[in-house]
Amino acid sequence: MPEIFIDNIRYEYETPGKVLQFMLDNGLDLPFFCYHPSLSIPANCRQCMVKAGMPIFNRDKGTYEIDEEGNRKIRYFPKLMTACSLDLADGMVIHTHHSDELVKQAQADNLEFILINHPLDCPICDQAGECPLQILTYKYGPEGSRFEHKKVHKPKAVQLGPRVILDAERCINCTRCVRFTDEISKTHQLTIVSRGDKNYPMTADGEEFDDPYSLNTVDICPVGALTSADFRFKARVWEMNQTPGIDMSNGKGCNTWLWTRDNLILRITPRFNESVNDHWMPDEARLSYSRFNENRISRPQIRLDRDEQVPTSWNNAELTFREELDKVSPSQILVLGSPHASVEDNYSFRKFFEEKGVNEFFYLPHIIPGSGDDLLLSDDQAPNTNGVNALGFRETDEAGLKKLIKSKKTSIIAILDDDILERTGLTAKEFSGSFTVVLGTNHNETSLSANLVIPITCAAEHAASYVNVDGRIQRTIPAKETLYTNRRLNLEMSMSRLDHYGTKFDNWVTDANRVDCIPAWEFFTRLGDEQTTPAYHSSREIMEEIAGRISRFKEVSYDRMDDENGIQLELKQNTEVNTV
Amino acid sequence: MSNDWKSYQPLLIPAIRDLHEISVYEKNDGYQALKSILSDRKKWSPENVIEEVKDANIRGRGGAGFNAGLKWSFMPEPDGKPRYLACNGDESEPGTFKDRKIFEYNPHLFIEGAIIAAYAMQVDAIYVYIRGEYRPWVHKLQQAIDQAYEKNYLGKNIQGSDFSVEMYTHMGAGAYICGEESSLMESLEGKRGYPRVKPPFPAQRGLWGRPTTINNIETLANVPMVIKNGASWFKTIGPDTHPGPVLYGISGHVNRPGVYEYPAGMNIMTLINEVTGGIRNGKKLKALIPGGSSTPPLRADMLDGVTMDADSLREVGSMMGTAGMVVLDEDTDMVDLIWRISVFYHHESCGQCTPCREGTGWLEKTLHKINSGDGEIRDLDLLLAICNRMEGRTICALADAAAWPVRYSIDRFRDEFEKKCKKTVYAVA
Repeated sequence: MPEIFIDNIRYEYETPGKVLQFMLDNGLDLPFFCYHPSLSIPANCRQCMVKAGMPIFNRDKGTYEIDEEGNRKIRYFPKLMTACSLDLADGMVIHTHHSDELVKQAQADNLEFILINHPLDCPICDQAGECPLQILTYKYGPEGSRFEHKKVHKPKAVQLGPRVILDAERCINCTRCVRFTDEISKTHQLTIVSRGDKNYPMTADGEEFDDPYSLNTVDICPVGALTSADFRFKARVWEMNQTPGIDMSNGKGCNTWLWTRDNLILRITPRFNESVNDHWMPDEARLSYSRFNENRISRPQIRLDRDEQVPTSWNNAELTFREELDKVSPSQILVLGSPHASVEDNYSFRKFFEEKGVNEFFYLPHIIPGSGDDLLLSDDQAPNTNGVNALGFRETDEAGLKKLIKSKKTSIIAILDDDILERTGLTAKEFSGSFTVVLGTNHNETSLSANLVIPITCAAEHAASYVNVDGRIQRTIPAKETLYTNRRLNLEMSMSRLDHYGTKFDNWVTDANRVDCIPAWEFFTRLGDEQTTPAYHSSREIMEEIAGRISRFKEVSYDRMDDENGIQLELKQNTEVNTV
Repeated sequence: MSNDWKSYQPLLIPAIRDLHEISVYEKNDGYQALKSILSDRKKWSPENVIEEVKDANIRGRGGAGFNAGLKWSFMPEPDGKPRYLACNGDESEPGTFKDRKIFEYNPHLFIEGAIIAAYAMQVDAIYVYIRGEYRPWVHKLQQAIDQAYEKNYLGKNIQGSDFSVEMYTHMGAGAYICGEESSLMESLEGKRGYPRVKPPFPAQRGLWGRPTTINNIETLANVPMVIKNGASWFKTIGPDTHPGPVLYGISGHVNRPGVYEYPAGMNIMTLINEVTGGIRNGKKLKALIPGGSSTPPLRADMLDGVTMDADSLREVGSMMGTAGMVVLDEDTDMVDLIWRISVFYHHESCGQCTPCREGTGWLEKTLHKINSGDGEIRDLDLLLAICNRMEGRTICALADAAAWPVRYSIDRFRDEFEKKCKKTVYAVA
């Protein structure tokens, strides 16, 4: 196998590639700004300089030339090379700052250069704390600067587009943002304008940076030049906790980080997953964080004789639900699962009514044709359409639903978290003949027209799985606490955090921001017959049960999803079953 | 060589009236080299043309001085897809104005050379990238190209053969960096003029990802005479290591500045004192920038016996560059001059690589400080340190070009720099 020597340590490589990427893959440190694994290599920041050389090969003898000490003679390149653009070669010798003073000096020199025109306004800069320039300067930079002149002034606080704000003075001209719009989102909206130390990224005259993926440029910006109009000045990174999650606003199921402070989700950023979203995420998905904080249903709501819903106790809600169920025959119950709810919730929802004798289950897909693109937005607006499908719920539509309500002489409609009224032409009138139970996360048209509303946890509060449009099952981890305490959820939360051993009291939590809700499965466990239904302690147990009972979820488990960053299910099987 | 310079007959810009007209050019043996190639394809196979040019050792006149034929031989075998020749007429180096003369007085010589190069490398299209400020000369060249098309020296099936090539002119928009070959290609592609990372080299991936060779205008103008008279004849002009005629663009404090054609390897003092009639107003020579603003300046006392060829200039610590000599008399303020040069490089740095983007500005600001009398001796050390940090750490050579004049002028004219600095009194322990 070809070999390469980095700082006198031998490594082997299989696939050809670049030195920097190879070092990153092997956990070796080297500072860089402009390089990004998913973008082209411009080698313009000149930060990843290394000393590189090749052994001298004697063609006549067919061997490497050896010096007196028995080592291979190395012919070094006359200049320092940028590791990002340097191809791996068999026998290559690399010296980084760990073994070469010149390289170390070059890295410090380059940082000194970068910083001479950088405003150094870290205390008021949003990027501080997660700024590669700040981090690398502490690690590799010079002790001070010898620059005694006026810095170059450039435009500040420029609203590039609806979601991105530019501070041109902070820009170090790495061109990551420009390359992103050229190579990934392909809108070509950004370019570098002006020359030399006066240049900065900008849109064409009169154009707006309204790329549906524009906020990715904020993530990849290695300084605070591009900031999010939405998140700007809201919170410091070191005050927030970072929990892995899944995007709920689209069927693609982008992997995300949920950033919390005071038990509120403050922003969502993409989490790398090669098989789903790479490093990227649509703006729409990022800005969907407010649904986790605002307009949440807290405490069960019940409609008495008057038109208004009033809060009620959990006990009363459970009793009312039980009473209403006992009044009717199973054929009069219409059960609507949801592509917006998790596999576990849908499963326990179905199972509960199955035990009551209901044998037909429906759901309304939430698909807006033409709303997707070929990058990360799908037509499917719901995160779990394939999941609910695979659980045996039957697809229906507005007309089908109307027909069902009429033909079944429905007297109970149970709806799992789904705003059906808002997204179809149905009105509250259609439901008025029956007792409507909604298990929901947020107040919406459907929940407001319901007779009983059970608040359930949202994706940011529970551990649950979702199957995306490509049939990949991925799971969420609680990022927020609820008033209801489940120790297993708390454990999931702390284990997801960077230190793995924090307690929930390490987190910034304000009680006012805790929602009084429970996971849907927990509600059905409480309602269920203790004799026939085993009580679940966590959604993990439900997934184990699903894996054992439904062939499409065979061998799916939380541990595997965590280890493999989601599991690809057999989608074809699903569609075949459905068409039969 | 330098003895018989007086009897030298110009080859690149001969004194023939209306040579830019194709009829006049044809009468004076024009396009004969091309015709002889196309009429004897056996003798002049593309490989043989490259061999001949390689043998003639035409060293690139754009500044790097690389053997043109050798450069051509780097082109891969044709694979049926497009290949290109780009002609660099950007001429943006201060002190350089030689290609302009070719466009004006002998454009067909260059066109013929380019067609022969296209034939040798079997390329499909020739792009001539000309500096935008050269509007009148672009016009002249375009007229000449149109005439060549009319007479079927360009276009489909040239002179009845199966060889076809197209030629296009392209005007630059005033960026110095677009004279660097890879940013020239970016600019031709319609992109921002950022130099490309090498490798891959242009011969592997050039214009639109296809094999491309970039040659200077003057380099290509030397090609027809090599084909006509043979490589061995060509090598009799000028020194062995750097043969051929050279257009010396001499500017500065001389009596008759201008472009002069003489063999390479002319004695510098001969050029200054005899060719251009000496320093004006009878002043003494102080310094010389031998080949455009980026080449290290030389002190007058370093010029004894130095000739204008790559090797001789390397020995005294400078470079041939584009042979755009800037002659400076004794009244020149070197600090002011170097500051002005650094303003140019600060303005022209494309801003891609950190050391150049930031370094050129830092050099300029520090030199300005010294030039306006606020400098301190330590600033000279700082300047040298900045130069050290810029050289060889960027994608293209602009950082080197910006650093060399500063480094070498501090090295060679340190007294002047120190004089301009504030007297710093150090406490003696």
